[in-house]
Amino acid sequence: MIRYQDGSLEAFGEIYAELASGVHRYLSHLTGGSEIASDLLQETFLQMHRSRAAYNPQYAVRPWVFGLARNVFLMNRRAARRWARIQEAREDLPEFAVLPEADRLGSQDEIRRCISYLSPDQAEALLLHHEWGFSFEEIAGMLGISAAAARARASRGMADLRVALNSLQRAGT
Amino acid sequence: MIDPSPKPPEALMRAIAQDLRPVKPSPLPLNLALRMVPLALLVSSVILLAIGPRHDAGILGPLLTWGASAAQFVLAIMLIWIAAHESTPARRLPRQIVCAAAVSGLLVVVFLTLLTFWISPASEPVLRVPPIVNELLRAKPWIMGFGCGIGSTLAGGILVLLFSVIFRNSLATRPAEAGALYGAGAGLAINAGWRIACPVSTLWHALGAHGAAIIATVILGALIGRFIGNRRLHIRINRS
Repeated sequence: MIRYQDGSLEAFGEIYAELASGVHRYLSHLTGGSEIASDLLQETFLQMHRSRAAYNPQYAVRPWVFGLARNVFLMNRRAARRWARIQEAREDLPEFAVLPEADRLGSQDEIRRCISYLSPDQAEALLLHHEWGFSFEEIAGMLGISAAAARARASRGMADLRVALNSLQRAGT
Repeated sequence: MIDPSPKPPEALMRAIAQDLRPVKPSPLPLNLALRMVPLALLVSSVILLAIGPRHDAGILGPLLTWGASAAQFVLAIMLIWIAAHESTPARRLPRQIVCAAAVSGLLVVVFLTLLTFWISPASEPVLRVPPIVNELLRAKPWIMGFGCGIGSTLAGGILVLLFSVIFRNSLATRPAEAGALYGAGAGLAINAGWRIACPVSTLWHALGAHGAAIIATVILGALIGRFIGNRRLHIRINRS
């Protein structure tokens, strides 16, 4: 990031290669699996470029870029026209890698379905921690909550996910 | 879902390549807030330098005159520090802290106003101006109210505009809220200086005129913050 701030195009390419996939998955989750996630991904990196001076080398790059992606998502959600399209796309379940911890609890499709039943706050904290590996302190900074609240959301999310998976599997048998 | 290619799209690369000038990294939120101290001190002490401390400063004592204003000023800088955190992705503070700081700002102003009025209920303007002006202000106290209200709003507005330049790269999730926070910081900082100079302690004047000025700077900050946020929203990449 420091090389990028010094004007290296290659450094930008490296940051993109390192983070684009994870940020895209995160945006897919936020947008409910909509194709808009790809547009938002480009906007996130464009915003990152325009705001590269706002980055301080003491920040960890990954949470900073994920936080920026969340910011881009929220700004775009405020634009009603696009948000309407996201709402239409909610019919399709968002696709993201299944949580390693939950993998043994059910199939990918079941887990995706059950995550969509969780409250958005719980699902986001759960995925940020278990899927993208952020610490609770980093999640707290991204969401504007305390680390304890981030931990509680992820933990409740996991508990609710287990309950939902059990119910789904019982209903299936 | 298909993962994006590890190579940035051409349109994005073109947009990036257009402007690759080296940039200076932004300071940390605390450093950013501390950098604003001299600026805030300068603007908030203009009125004090112009008309001097209030005539009943001796009755109020140094603690309630200078000490209380110093505490209010520190709180103002704290609000700016919180606004700087709100403006940085992944560095946001818990909402409870943000709300507690905003409410503290309000309570401190109300508490100091009540305490000042209780100890020295000065209701007549005694300024270092020609006696005829003091007579006029005594006969028409609303002029003093308007003067303080408009004067401190203007001073607060100048400070908010200066802060906005520093916050122009703000990446706040809620830009209006971040703007309102540094607006509140500006309002409190100006009030900290103004309350030492203004000779009127009555509640309608202190809360009505000075309080309205703080609210005006909060609104101005929120509007500017929103403008900065909206300006970013309209940036679109030319997809090809």
